[in-house]
Amino acid sequence: MTAYINGLSCISHHNTIDENYFFENLSTQPPSNKLLATEPVYKEYISAASMRRMSHIIKMGLTAGLMSMKKAGSEKPDAIIIGTGIGCYEDTDTFLRSMSDNNEQLLTPTAFIQSTHNTVGGQLALTTKCNGTNFTYVHQNLSFEYALLDSMMLLNENEATTVLVGAIDEITPSLFELFYRTDRIKKTEDLQSIWNSTSKGYSLGEGAAFFNISSTATPTTQAKITGVKCKQHIENADELIQETDLFLRSCGLQINQISLVLSGNCGDEQMDKKISEFNKKINLPIGYFKTLCGEYFTASGFAMWLAATIIKKQVVPQAILPDSQIVSNIQHILIVNHYHDKEYSLMCVSVC
Amino acid sequence: MSTKVYITGMGIISAIGDSVEETLQSLSDSKTGIGKINYLETFHKDTFVVGEVKHSNNELIEIAGIGNYNRTTLLGYIAAREALKKASINDIKEARTGFVSATTIAGMCTTELLYKDFLEGRNNTNFIDSHFCGVSTNDIAKHLGIIDYVTTISTACSSAANAIMLGARLIKNNILDRVVVGGVDPLSKFTLNGFNTLMILDKEWCKPFDENRKGLNLGEGAAYLVLESEKLVKEKNKNILAQLLGYGNANDAYHQTASSPEGHGALLAMQNAFKVAGIHPDAIDYINAHGTGTPNNDSSEGIAMQTLFNNNVPKFSSTKAFTGHTLAAAAAIEAVISILAIRNSMIFPCLNRSTQMSDLTITPVNTLEKNIPVNYVLSNSFGFGGNCSSLIFSKN
Repeated sequence: MTAYINGLSCISHHNTIDENYFFENLSTQPPSNKLLATEPVYKEYISAASMRRMSHIIKMGLTAGLMSMKKAGSEKPDAIIIGTGIGCYEDTDTFLRSMSDNNEQLLTPTAFIQSTHNTVGGQLALTTKCNGTNFTYVHQNLSFEYALLDSMMLLNENEATTVLVGAIDEITPSLFELFYRTDRIKKTEDLQSIWNSTSKGYSLGEGAAFFNISSTATPTTQAKITGVKCKQHIENADELIQETDLFLRSCGLQINQISLVLSGNCGDEQMDKKISEFNKKINLPIGYFKTLCGEYFTASGFAMWLAATIIKKQVVPQAILPDSQIVSNIQHILIVNHYHDKEYSLMCVSVC
Repeated sequence: MSTKVYITGMGIISAIGDSVEETLQSLSDSKTGIGKINYLETFHKDTFVVGEVKHSNNELIEIAGIGNYNRTTLLGYIAAREALKKASINDIKEARTGFVSATTIAGMCTTELLYKDFLEGRNNTNFIDSHFCGVSTNDIAKHLGIIDYVTTISTACSSAANAIMLGARLIKNNILDRVVVGGVDPLSKFTLNGFNTLMILDKEWCKPFDENRKGLNLGEGAAYLVLESEKLVKEKNKNILAQLLGYGNANDAYHQTASSPEGHGALLAMQNAFKVAGIHPDAIDYINAHGTGTPNNDSSEGIAMQTLFNNNVPKFSSTKAFTGHTLAAAAAIEAVISILAIRNSMIFPCLNRSTQMSDLTITPVNTLEKNIPVNYVLSNSFGFGGNCSSLIFSKN
């Protein structure tokens, strides 16, 4: 299964909404332990009346989706498939708080309505008047991967010619606090380049990445997705290498054809143990993409956007490369991701 | 792509029983599971009636026997285990096997109990380990031994229909040989209060498709089907419960929570399901409607049915007055009920009804009908976000 990326967008910590920006002059150390998104001017995409009630993730998701459609020159996709690890936490938190503060009385419905995991998928359908297939995957760090697998399956079934597929997750103050108090977040004083990191925790990130994909190339095609694979469990680095080998073969590729690996190290030495060993053994240029976007359940959506953009620009941001490596003639990029050393995923993005 | 998808096992736990057999008994006796709140801790304990599974968490821990999990994981595991047992599957690894589960609540049933402590700075943060949707799916899959394709879908009240649909597509695309599909949602204060703010909860027994319906009753539970490829069924000479003949998914694209008055999304979902099934709507013997009992749903769905069947609507009912609306589990619970209708030549009634809806010309089945050949069943599920899904089951 191959899918062509004909439009794409990304809202992330850095100014990725500006097509000319590409991570120039950045430190190799994540700038903070909380990588909040640089937000676009939402009113260019959403009417003021609808925007008033929308939480952060809805605005990000809806806008990023519409941006991707615009780049693809598409007004309405045939299907909308969303992946979100956490869903609409701001609204969930608001409703939980008011339940707790008011002892389950005098509550209003807006936060409850918008707390539903499929809110962004629904809003995109409403806005684009898309009556087609509409799915939302909520499988933690594999949410985007399963959304992508479904999207590619829809293309394969000829059920859709173009699919809008997206990855969205947000940081809220409560969520940050929750992650911080459960030792998932790195202390500010421990921040280091991800590949040198010897401390616990990671920088928490957020963002929205969307893609218009189809089974044939169009004049706006930027790159193609040649494969996606999810693994519930990886025992050790050697198993990850074996799985990578099998995966690449299923994409019609060999390991030595890969120009760059975008590795999902998060910066927590213990959690990264297997993937760090994998990176050492695989003997390929490694880019540490979470330097730019932080760790979150759908960070692999950011990685997919980054891979497609690297392929188009034929430039790798220096901040994600150790030792000022030069990577050129970029043909195939392998994305290897994990979350808390639990589920792993492999994705491959290639030139057209 | 032409392979057939068969149902070889099913499992269910809801307000009307802990197993397929108990469920059939309650349905045959027209016995509802909806009543006073016994287990859910809420301010509204004496205000609303709900469809609770008749066990405390400790009893469920005992029944499941997999350790100290939350209600979501326990209910899900109990139903999925029954489905595998009924499908006579002992060795999971003998074929490519997946697990696709739907939920909207996930760990919320635990989070909502500890959130006040968290907000007030006390160190009650363990709920983070169970809060996110994929966690219960992974835990259930782990205890079932399924590793090949494990994922979670959340499209509000249509979630399990989409899980069932995805499972069929995974088999047709030759990605899996068999897959356990369905959904689970326990009751929670979060949803009870949420639906209360929308003013769509009936304080008494819900009355789907009644002119004087006031809203829905919430329920809880889990149900799973084992879907197997035609090839595997033949190889293993498996006993078939039914065939999953068609499925359709569409978006109403009308409003974040309300259904369009003419039921546009519902109509499209049903039409898509017939396209996949390759049968004419006339073939349908029974429709298990979404029929939540809210003024909006039953009117919109009823009009969509009248449009699709050109005013020649087959026998239909909503079984939510038995189980309550079980949200992400609803489509799976109703899939089991649809298959029970086929297997037992019965049509289960719409309880509590007395008055004809003025905006519909059709009337649901109000009393149990026995010895009725049921060869084809259509089952509808719709949700917030405009998500509409329909499934078609057949006897052979």
